[in-house]
Amino acid sequence: MEPMIASGTLSPWEPGVFSLTIYVILILIFVASQLIIAVWLGEKKKTVEKLRPYESGIIPTGEARLHYPVPFYLVAIFFLIFDVEGAFIFAWAIAHGKLGWAGWLQISFFIVLLLLGLFYIWRKGGLDWGPLTQKD
Amino acid sequence: MGSANPKGLSDRLLSGTDALINWARKYSLWPMFFGLSCCFVEKATALTARYDLARFGAEVLRPSPRQADLMIISGTIFKKIAPVILRLYEQMAEPKWVISMGSCANCGGMYDAYSVVQGIDQILPVDVYIPGCPPRPEAVLQGIVELQKKIETESPTRPIFNLKGGTQGSVTPLRVDGRTKSRDPRGPGMQGTAIRGTSVVPPDFRGSRTDLMWTPPPRQIALSSSDQDLSRELSTRFGDALQPIEPTSDMLTLQVTEDRLVDVLKYLKHEATPRFQRLDDLTAIDESARRQPENYADYTMVYHLLSFDSASRLRLKVPLQGQDPVIRSITDVWPSANWYEREVFDLMGIHFEGHPNLHRIIMPPDWQGHPLRKSHPGRATEMAPYTREDAGKLQPLDGGVYVKTSDGEQPLILNIGPHHVSTHGLLRYIASLNGEQITGLELEIGYHHRSVEKIGERQTWHQFIPYLARVDYLAGAANDLPYLLAVETLANIQVPERAQVIRVMLSEFYRLSNHLVWLATYAHDVGAMTPNFYTFREREMILDIVELITGGRLHPSWFRIGGVAAELPEGWKAAVDQFVSIFPKRLQEYENLIRKNPIFKARTQGVGRISLQEAMDWGVTGPNLRSCGLDWDLRKKMPYSGYENFEFEVPTATEGDCYARYLVRIEEMRQSIRIIEQAANNMPAGRYITDDYRYVIPRREDMLKDIESLIHHYINVTRGPKIPRGEAHAACEIPRGEQGYYVVSDGLGYAYRVRIRGPGFANVQVMPLLVVGESIADLIAIIGSVDYILPDIDR
Repeated sequence: MEPMIASGTLSPWEPGVFSLTIYVILILIFVASQLIIAVWLGEKKKTVEKLRPYESGIIPTGEARLHYPVPFYLVAIFFLIFDVEGAFIFAWAIAHGKLGWAGWLQISFFIVLLLLGLFYIWRKGGLDWGPLTQKD
Repeated sequence: MGSANPKGLSDRLLSGTDALINWARKYSLWPMFFGLSCCFVEKATALTARYDLARFGAEVLRPSPRQADLMIISGTIFKKIAPVILRLYEQMAEPKWVISMGSCANCGGMYDAYSVVQGIDQILPVDVYIPGCPPRPEAVLQGIVELQKKIETESPTRPIFNLKGGTQGSVTPLRVDGRTKSRDPRGPGMQGTAIRGTSVVPPDFRGSRTDLMWTPPPRQIALSSSDQDLSRELSTRFGDALQPIEPTSDMLTLQVTEDRLVDVLKYLKHEATPRFQRLDDLTAIDESARRQPENYADYTMVYHLLSFDSASRLRLKVPLQGQDPVIRSITDVWPSANWYEREVFDLMGIHFEGHPNLHRIIMPPDWQGHPLRKSHPGRATEMAPYTREDAGKLQPLDGGVYVKTSDGEQPLILNIGPHHVSTHGLLRYIASLNGEQITGLELEIGYHHRSVEKIGERQTWHQFIPYLARVDYLAGAANDLPYLLAVETLANIQVPERAQVIRVMLSEFYRLSNHLVWLATYAHDVGAMTPNFYTFREREMILDIVELITGGRLHPSWFRIGGVAAELPEGWKAAVDQFVSIFPKRLQEYENLIRKNPIFKARTQGVGRISLQEAMDWGVTGPNLRSCGLDWDLRKKMPYSGYENFEFEVPTATEGDCYARYLVRIEEMRQSIRIIEQAANNMPAGRYITDDYRYVIPRREDMLKDIESLIHHYINVTRGPKIPRGEAHAACEIPRGEQGYYVVSDGLGYAYRVRIRGPGFANVQVMPLLVVGESIADLIAIIGSVDYILPDIDR
């Protein structure tokens, strides 16, 4: 599969500093007007209770900055592995005709390596989600 | 600006934009998901299919005050929750409006009691008042429409553009007692006169004429042979420390000295035949206002025990002397005594030696005095009015106070409640978290304490009936039964068979109604919206039948001492038959949606498990106990009101988890409909109220015809029947479990002490056992599966 040739289907691209400047100025005016209207019309009634975090009607307990186990963090890291994998595989898939068997072997090696990693994570319990210690 | 000239261009422009803004605002109101008590049920019903609040542009209840601009105060305002209400109001988006819904929010209503604020307008500005107790869902719709009319009169453009003048949101001034409002339930100008009835209640009794009346002695029962054996065995074992109290109206009763109490209880729990495995209830009586004080100690502790083996109960009474007496804690015999003893400490001022955590449980931490003592005022109107300053000062304690940590450990403490969508009422959970896992759970109750037990001491035996249904506002008339049974036991009143069957039929209707609400909210808790839209359809059918028969919806107050209030109306049978033919199919529909749903099963199976042994030890009752595998239902084991004549099964499950509790409740609905069908088909002929009019309110036609009935009617309605001196306990299987009433009479027109053993109190006390170790998301699934209700926990 070759990349599609786009000539003639899109309007010609003629970069010009003038139109870009106009565009930027319009954006700035728009954003500024939004902010100004919000500041002008917004409710400015600030009381102690209003500024306090909402915690079911109670004054919040303690602070939010403390040591906190984050299982999400591991999952996010694992996701990164497979995300990068996708980037390489899509790139290879587009050019697989040109790369031939050598390319196929290389990408297979890459996938197997990642699968080993996944298997390792799995065996280590990295994919288990739930309470850290079992009840009873 | 053009304010000098009222017809100026700018003013015309402003009034145009006013109309536009008001039109937009009145059709996009955002009520907060905020409920206090019974009224909230009707408010939530207004959102369901039949009433469909969405038509009026107030579609969704917002769980957070930040997203809401309308607060509907639906229910009783407790002094303990008032600071939270004020905070939530302050945290709401501007501009905001307040609707006061129901008599309690308007003025305290029937709860002129020490723990209740006599009207929300003392702490918040109110735009619209909705009368009723509780107002019907239609009244909520009317309230919204009235608020929309009020919004139309506002001129919000000026404040929006930061100009002077104009109005928006609630601006009504707070009402101040004595100046702009009168807390007196009779209206202003009556301050010089004592409230009717006060001259016959403690401490002076000067107006009481009940002493002049004669009544037969209370009911006396012959003890069963096993009770006699047990009594003899105990006497030989403990000697003088223990004495049987005879005669008794309901069960084996023993008086124990304080020093041997723990030994006696240990023996009864572990060694006696039969063994009494459950501490049914634990309470105290302040004896200081007795008519014959020389016969009583200063305080009496009362322990009710239950034996699963022989299906029998036993009462132990311990006399205590002194102003602030001390008694040994029994928490090492029954762990469930923990909360019960704290309650007695809080409300009676009795200290428990060896109690692990003896702090107030019901009243706010800064409360002065012990409300159930006879010396403590019973009415809010006898105390200083609650003001906005009070609501700013008397805050609930910081969550960190409740959490006990070992050194260095710093868990994340999360408050869930008292205002939270998933706590199903005013209850505060303080969870310690390690990541997502719950490592500790503390509960704070008492936000819904309506002082019912104290009110029972000042209302006559009949006048107290309306308060009963409000103890568990989803179980309606089913609540009335245990109280009436206790009074009828004590005074030996025979209830005609027809009245018994009517009582059973209505109680079962309320079981269905309660379980339908539970099903909808529980499915919602674990992520299924659909059942919510449907189960209220059948619930409305039930309430229609109830309304046809009783005239009421949530709180019919229709059972009477000695029977029920009136004959069944014409057409009741057809309505019941139609419901019986429809309901099983509908229930099957819900089952098809939920029972095998993989998401539902994953959320509930194996979650929130409790073992049978723990459940029995902690006094868990109702479906929660049966889902652990014990076939224990009072309707079968200790039948009352003629349940022995009905064919039905007691569903059980073995797992003891959320899913098992679901299965048991669904099956209970099938059995309830069987009972209703049998009751309707075999409704016996006869009277609806006993023909012995000594204690009861006579039939109206009799009252109008003969002088005897007229006199009974007059006495029993005005000063109340004189119930013979004594005590009795009765318990019923209401939808949530075993609700027991222990009534003590001193031979007067009202109870000397009314004690309510609510199923929720024990069922919720075990919550940490169910929850600790689970993840935070499971907490919501577990809370819903336990199916508690706050007025029955806090009373």
